[in-house]
Amino acid sequence: MASQTKTDVLKQHQSNTNLNAPILAHVMLSENDLGADGLIRPLDERIIAATADALESGQTHYVDVPGIAPLREAVADFLASFFSAAYQQGNIIVTAGLQESRFLTIQMIGQNYDSIGVPEVVHPGVRKALGTRARKVVSLPVDASAGYLSSVESVAEAVAGGCRLLFLESPSRLSGAAYSADQVAAIGEIMSENDAAVIWDQGLAVWVAGDYASLASHDSEAARVATIGEAFPGMGLASWFIGYIAAPEASVPPMQSQKQIMSICTSTASQYGALEASQLFDSARNQQLASLRQSRNSVLQVASEASLSIVSGAASNIVALRMESGSEAALAKLRAAGYEGTDGALFGAPDVIRLNVTNTTVDALRALV
Amino acid sequence: MSKKKKQGTNLLYNMIAEANSYDDVIVMGRGDPDFDTPAHIVDAAKDAMVNHHADYSPPEGLLALREAIAERVKRINNIDVDPATEVVVTNGGQEALFLMVVAANGPGDEMIVPEPNYTTYADSLAFAGGVKVEVQAFAENDFRADPADVRAAITDKSRSLLLVSPNNPAANVISPEDMRTMLDIAIEHDLIVIADDIYDLFVYDDFEHLSPASLPGGKERTLTLNALSKAYSMTGWRLGWIVGPADLMARVRELKAAISGGTSVISQYAGIAALTGPQDPVAMMAEAYRRRRQLVLDALDEMGMSYGLPQGGQFVFADISFTGLDSGELAQRILTEQHVLAYPGSAFSKDRKDYLRMTFLQPEEKLREGLERMKIAMGNIMAEQQS
Repeated sequence: MASQTKTDVLKQHQSNTNLNAPILAHVMLSENDLGADGLIRPLDERIIAATADALESGQTHYVDVPGIAPLREAVADFLASFFSAAYQQGNIIVTAGLQESRFLTIQMIGQNYDSIGVPEVVHPGVRKALGTRARKVVSLPVDASAGYLSSVESVAEAVAGGCRLLFLESPSRLSGAAYSADQVAAIGEIMSENDAAVIWDQGLAVWVAGDYASLASHDSEAARVATIGEAFPGMGLASWFIGYIAAPEASVPPMQSQKQIMSICTSTASQYGALEASQLFDSARNQQLASLRQSRNSVLQVASEASLSIVSGAASNIVALRMESGSEAALAKLRAAGYEGTDGALFGAPDVIRLNVTNTTVDALRALV
Repeated sequence: MSKKKKQGTNLLYNMIAEANSYDDVIVMGRGDPDFDTPAHIVDAAKDAMVNHHADYSPPEGLLALREAIAERVKRINNIDVDPATEVVVTNGGQEALFLMVVAANGPGDEMIVPEPNYTTYADSLAFAGGVKVEVQAFAENDFRADPADVRAAITDKSRSLLLVSPNNPAANVISPEDMRTMLDIAIEHDLIVIADDIYDLFVYDDFEHLSPASLPGGKERTLTLNALSKAYSMTGWRLGWIVGPADLMARVRELKAAISGGTSVISQYAGIAALTGPQDPVAMMAEAYRRRRQLVLDALDEMGMSYGLPQGGQFVFADISFTGLDSGELAQRILTEQHVLAYPGSAFSKDRKDYLRMTFLQPEEKLREGLERMKIAMGNIMAEQQS
């Protein structure tokens, strides 16, 4: 017998466009998959050994909701050394991956605000997190010439219009473009003057060569910025689903309570793996960054020679291209040559494709020409 | 109501923190089995780290694990599901619980909840904007929720019915007859059934567990959760699942992708080993719980406490009204004076201040010691009252 209740439930869900935003793979499905959010990276034997030791010594039980203390401390140290952000262990929540970080910050910090400002072009995971509970979303216009970041003026306009919470990616998850130090300072000033808050996704920042400006590095802004990201990216833990939130003290308890409600704690294997990764991260990241920079330069050169339109970006692990014929035709060409890319339409930029930077990206570009 | 809940949560956090400060503490509070995860499961995780550390897993989980889950729910629960479309892997039973409640209920929808119950159901429902409609059950009836009371609680806003069997914290098992009646009510009033089977392998004496989704007309309206935490002593691995009809499960999948994206592949490979490997450790643990349960019941009898007979699960919900103390106060005294942590009933419901939940998830020797200490605390309290 048909169930009207089920029909109503399904109708309610189907009409929720944010919740139905597309899902991107968190890690490459193959060597030629240049469209996933994460690369396949080897796993250091020391991470395997440390995780195995932890499991064999009985670390198979519940642990503290916000994460094991040494990992929280390691994340705080990482944020201090990379971004000069003054977070302490008590400001850190270890999450079951970046998406849980998005969800907890957007929903739990968001419940204190009437609306949340979100760039028109943003990772679809952000829309999904917004879709779990009705929220008023203020759309922030983006500047295509600036890598699809929302301009400082757009931010100011939204805040002046009463929006007191913003979600910003820097670098952009589509283009890799990051705000400059001046722009970050200007955004910080707007927030401070208007008592507004920011959820700042800086997960790709570790792949920026040279200077990177984090909103969390401004001492005066630490009380109004929650930063999120993957825990120790590039260390082979993409499929272990481990991320972090670093937030002002007052924001931690509600997120911690919600974390308890929805997962109690993050897998101990992932936490002990990440803890060991934290010890190896600096040198591994430097090596990877050097290699990525080299590969990206080759990619940019080939793209330039082929008169492809490169979207401005700073993160070395991705490259975004503006395709006059639209993203679909470009992706079809790539697919015919055995490659996958990301459709910018999934982020809100239908004329853009995103490719991961790997050893095969140059070959993929040649297929596009 | 939410203020009361927060007080309960804070009380527990504070008590847990205090318990952690005692070297000789005996924990009879949290539902975390004392056994280590069986070695063959840890070995599978180690193998996964070497050979599968970067495998792609869709939000609903690895197909191999979903197949193992489908086989398990068929074998144990008699529920037929298609692993391709009717299983979603979760970060433990807790995420499964949250997803089921949020998938089935929206703002203003009523969920009928037999009480006492695990507080996270109410918390999850609050997130969804739903309304909890309580149906009370009591120790004198071994916490049996009367289907007639469930029927009486239905309104035109009723959307779902929660059936947790064995129940947490009361350890009642819904009888097959009551389960059939509950499902009939759900069908008659077109409710979605939210079934929590997490303790289905721990049923005592002659009691029988029955999954509502296994009954005619049940599967198409039932979301059923389970997890490896309790059965395989894998609480830290965070691995659970939901099974249900494909149309509802498609929504569960979207929600899973929205709140956490996926589940660690290391835990998933460990889960495959748990479900497809030797099951002797589960039988060994079940037998241990059976013995420990009797130890606890004997001690409670000695202390003069009444309780609903724990028909399943891993705990006892005992009536402490004869002490004249609020359960929070009593639990605090037992902790501070004797370094034994038991959970106050008020942490589960504002109406259960006269109850204490005690788990039997400690080795027998430690459990005996904990119970002896509790006897001393109770003796002191009763002596004070008489003086």
